[in-house]
Amino acid sequence: MTTYLPNPRIAVRVWRRDLWVFSHVWMKGLLPQFLDPIFYLLAMGFGLGTYLASVEGIAYEQFIGPGLIASAVMWAASFETTWNIYFRMEENRLYDSVLSTPVEVPDLALGEVMWAATRSLVYGTTFLVIVTLFGLVESPWALLIPPFLALGGACFGTLGLAFTSSISSVDLYSFYYTLFITPLFLFSGIFYPLDRLPEWVSVVAWFTPLYHLVEITRGLALDPDAAVVAGHALWLAVLTALVFLIPVHALRRRLVA
Amino acid sequence: MTAAVRARGLVKHYGGLTAVAGVDFDVQAGECFGFLGPNGAGKTTTMKMIYGLAAIEGGDLTVLGLDARTRRREVKSRIGVVPQEQNLDRELSVRENLEVQANYHGLRRDGRIDELLEFSLLARRGDAKTQELSGGMRRRLLIARALVNRPELVVLDEPTTGLDPQARLAVWDLLERLRSEGVTLIVTTHYMEEAHRICDRLVIMDEGRIVAQGTPGELLERYDEENLEGVFLQVAGHALRE
Repeated sequence: MTTYLPNPRIAVRVWRRDLWVFSHVWMKGLLPQFLDPIFYLLAMGFGLGTYLASVEGIAYEQFIGPGLIASAVMWAASFETTWNIYFRMEENRLYDSVLSTPVEVPDLALGEVMWAATRSLVYGTTFLVIVTLFGLVESPWALLIPPFLALGGACFGTLGLAFTSSISSVDLYSFYYTLFITPLFLFSGIFYPLDRLPEWVSVVAWFTPLYHLVEITRGLALDPDAAVVAGHALWLAVLTALVFLIPVHALRRRLVA
Repeated sequence: MTAAVRARGLVKHYGGLTAVAGVDFDVQAGECFGFLGPNGAGKTTTMKMIYGLAAIEGGDLTVLGLDARTRRREVKSRIGVVPQEQNLDRELSVRENLEVQANYHGLRRDGRIDELLEFSLLARRGDAKTQELSGGMRRRLLIARALVNRPELVVLDEPTTGLDPQARLAVWDLLERLRSEGVTLIVTTHYMEEAHRICDRLVIMDEGRIVAQGTPGELLERYDEENLEGVFLQVAGHALRE
């Protein structure tokens, strides 16, 4: 019975519960997380940007706008699968009751990842609309961005869940954010092209998910190359599928050993 | 009568610790079966093996005729679980806690939720948050939640621990009504008086083993005691004496 394969029909039930809770609290939850990238856009794009002529031939705010969409996805999926899930699992012991129903561990993990993806989709798409209203999107291909935001959200949701299901104390999140999420935010090519930095930085960036998501959103917003976008998306999908094994294994040890 | 649960040689270790050291028991359909024992005797672990929250390490366990190892999802769809911990969904209301349970079971909404709110005397608190409920109400909601899927068997882990006498009576009343409807009940407790009152048959566990079993009457006779407290002290009282 140690399958790692979830049953999507049952995973949806876990997702539905989260949607339900979100429908009660979305105003409280949506607003702050959403203001965050807007502040960055105003401060960096329209503040710092006025001192910079252009990056790679495009206006600075236009350069960072699509990148901030990607980071909004990362933050949304990470908050959901770190603090929120830790609360559900450890404080509320909710998973004990969920796993006493026909839901099994892989279904639970998939349902939570699907929810992280949904939440990322909501935040990222809203931010995409804002960036578009600021006139920072040129290509009609930007309409294709949302599905990739969900993919990015699934990827960061899986990473967050892998960390959450493996830690014994909530204090360890400071490591996750300080050593993983924040560096990704700063070094994934959102604020400046990576080719000005030493070669190895680009190499490291290639191994991180945010870099690929930024390349997708910026590509689609400005001047997409379908093959390049597909390559980045494939990278994210493969990483997500591989990392998914970690939370399934860790949650099983933690909850139904 | 058919067995609702059949356990043979159940074994479970946590690290170097033996939680369950090879137990055999049969729970008949329709009866209320009790597990008594001091803390750490292995009661909760045995319950968790029945409802799929602890992997079965050794031995055989059949629940409602199904192998609990290989057909866990099916087992869980046909039983109800009242855990020791208050793991109600704090982000949802009383009614929503029952609705989300129906959702986990893949059931459509019907009159069942209203029926259970009535049954657990919570009809007027449907919109309350679970944190606003008293301990007794929360326990009744946990029981109602366990009944959403109309289970044939309900496992209750210390359903009255920490409740005041009135709230305990209310829980006993719910359990008696369930039994009269033919639902099989498995109850753990360390209250002897509770076991005597609600259980048809019971086992006493100590250090992972079953040290005595029978109907309350049989146990009193066998150990020549006037109440189960005395039986308990005879078979598992070493913890108190040591």
